[in-house]
Amino acid sequence: MTADVDVVETTLGRAFWIGVGWLGFLAFLALFASWLPIGDPHEIAAGGPREGPSFGHIFGTDALGRDVFARTIFGARISLVVGFLAVLFGMVVGGGLGIAAGYFRGVTDQIISFSFFTLLSFPGLVLALLITALIDRNQLTVSLTLGILSIAPVGRLARANTIVFAEREFVQAARVLGADSTRIITKEILPNVMIPMAALALLGMGIAIVAEGSLAFLGLSVEGDAVSWGKSIVDGSQARDLEQNPNVALFPIFVMFLTVLALNYAGDRVREYFDVRETAF
Amino acid sequence: MRSLLLRRAALLVAVLLAVTFLAFGAMNTLGDPLFNIVGPLSEIDCDAVARGEAEATSSALDGNRTDCEILAGVRADYRLDEPLLKRYVLWLGDAARGDFGTSFQSEGVPVSEILTDKLPVSIKLMVYAEVLALALAIPLGVYGAYRANRRADRVLSVVSMAALAMPSFALGVVLLYVFGLKMGLFPSSYDSSSVWSELRSLFLPALTLGSGLAAGYQRLLRTDLVTTLQEDFVHMAKAKGMTDRHILFRHALRPSLFSVVTVFGIQTGALIGGSLVVEQIYLIPGVGRELVAAVARDDFPVVLAGVVMIATAFVVINFAVDLLYGWLDPRVRTQ
Repeated sequence: MTADVDVVETTLGRAFWIGVGWLGFLAFLALFASWLPIGDPHEIAAGGPREGPSFGHIFGTDALGRDVFARTIFGARISLVVGFLAVLFGMVVGGGLGIAAGYFRGVTDQIISFSFFTLLSFPGLVLALLITALIDRNQLTVSLTLGILSIAPVGRLARANTIVFAEREFVQAARVLGADSTRIITKEILPNVMIPMAALALLGMGIAIVAEGSLAFLGLSVEGDAVSWGKSIVDGSQARDLEQNPNVALFPIFVMFLTVLALNYAGDRVREYFDVRETAF
Repeated sequence: MRSLLLRRAALLVAVLLAVTFLAFGAMNTLGDPLFNIVGPLSEIDCDAVARGEAEATSSALDGNRTDCEILAGVRADYRLDEPLLKRYVLWLGDAARGDFGTSFQSEGVPVSEILTDKLPVSIKLMVYAEVLALALAIPLGVYGAYRANRRADRVLSVVSMAALAMPSFALGVVLLYVFGLKMGLFPSSYDSSSVWSELRSLFLPALTLGSGLAAGYQRLLRTDLVTTLQEDFVHMAKAKGMTDRHILFRHALRPSLFSVVTVFGIQTGALIGGSLVVEQIYLIPGVGRELVAAVARDDFPVVLAGVVMIATAFVVINFAVDLLYGWLDPRVRTQ
């Protein structure tokens, strides 16, 4: 190990908790949006068309007079859920395959590692475009598509960590005591591999939220009148809308930016805090 | 070195086969392949027509044949009655010769022609973005390492963190609004009337694409350079009385560029994905925009060819970077 130039801090830090606070606040608003005095995101002419921010509509209104704040909060529902489900799917499938590859090695490892390598050989958004173009796009299928993209990165991390832990004394002790593979994987290896995966999960959720937005720009996000951040931003980003009515695109962009920043920062801090390094190859 | 090259080449072939199979397989298993080729025409029940229960129709596509004859022709052309693996092998043979079939919607224009027409603009955009990214990242990375952990370095670190959190489409919209529409410094759409106007109209798109790359490169370069600056040969150069600038750019920069070269290949994926979106925002007539338009009009031969071309290019670039890395750093060769 080389000497670290940067001082490694021993707490997660104030900025981490500010970020987590923002995410919690947003999740709260999104979760209870229907019961809070936020308004209906689909209501046409809730205010006059193309109004700037005002007391009644703090983010203003769009060309159809819909409340941009309501659309941003209800958009958080879809964006956060898509981000969460995508990462969850990647964790379960990628994590499972990665641990299996790292634990059993041999042919299993070669097949799984090659699959990861193949998945990583697509530019992520191009693979997402290919799949979403061919399926019915609802919240679940879009989430799963983005989840497929996270299988390989999560899987590689899980595999690398499993290889390290499989050699450790406590795992060998368990084996000597007669524990079978299932027990060793679930009781000894999984709890240790979970921590670095958690850090990656935070980063991955940010990436998935951004990816949903990118798909929206390609016309491939969730179909129908469901609101997501990506779709709101696309709505407001045609040259004419943007010129006359920048609030429609810029407010959701700002909220999304803060969210991704919070997720990235939190992920980075968790990783540094637990000081996990991807070592074995 | 020789056996390493051979192993790399074998892996390259295997990955290319896997990638093309995945794309081809997705196109043929998700949804109805016949619909993916001919669109709504595929929903005609030709068995019923043959039994005389429904009337034979003909569409504007080909006045001389009935729709069912066209469908039968497509089935034969695309070998839809064969097993998937056999169709893949046959398709791959055609694709390797550059024959991706014809676009169904654009009156039988070869798909490869549609895509190669759009390719130059996309490549210009991506090269432009890389150039801007390196032009920003190298000086700022060197400066960050030079002033490591001082105020300037901390500011740069916050800025690059923010740039990484800003999705390219969001940055694209913001830049378009501020510099394109409000200040009127740049046109809001692509203009290729002269070299100068092309450079000018591609500036904001390239900056949009390049800023995330620049932030990533800057962080890597700074970290590596901080380590290099503690090496003996740097102290030696300092003791000999060389200027800081000379040491930074002539001595320390080159051995600190390994990580940047490594991620260069990986970042190409993000660059390609980003350009799909940026071409939408700035209305640039490149491959990405063609691909999205093809998806919107259910023109799946174009989609499949586009995806395969992009993925192939990405795989080849990554392998080239791998080899370049081995050439730059002799230690890699002996592994």
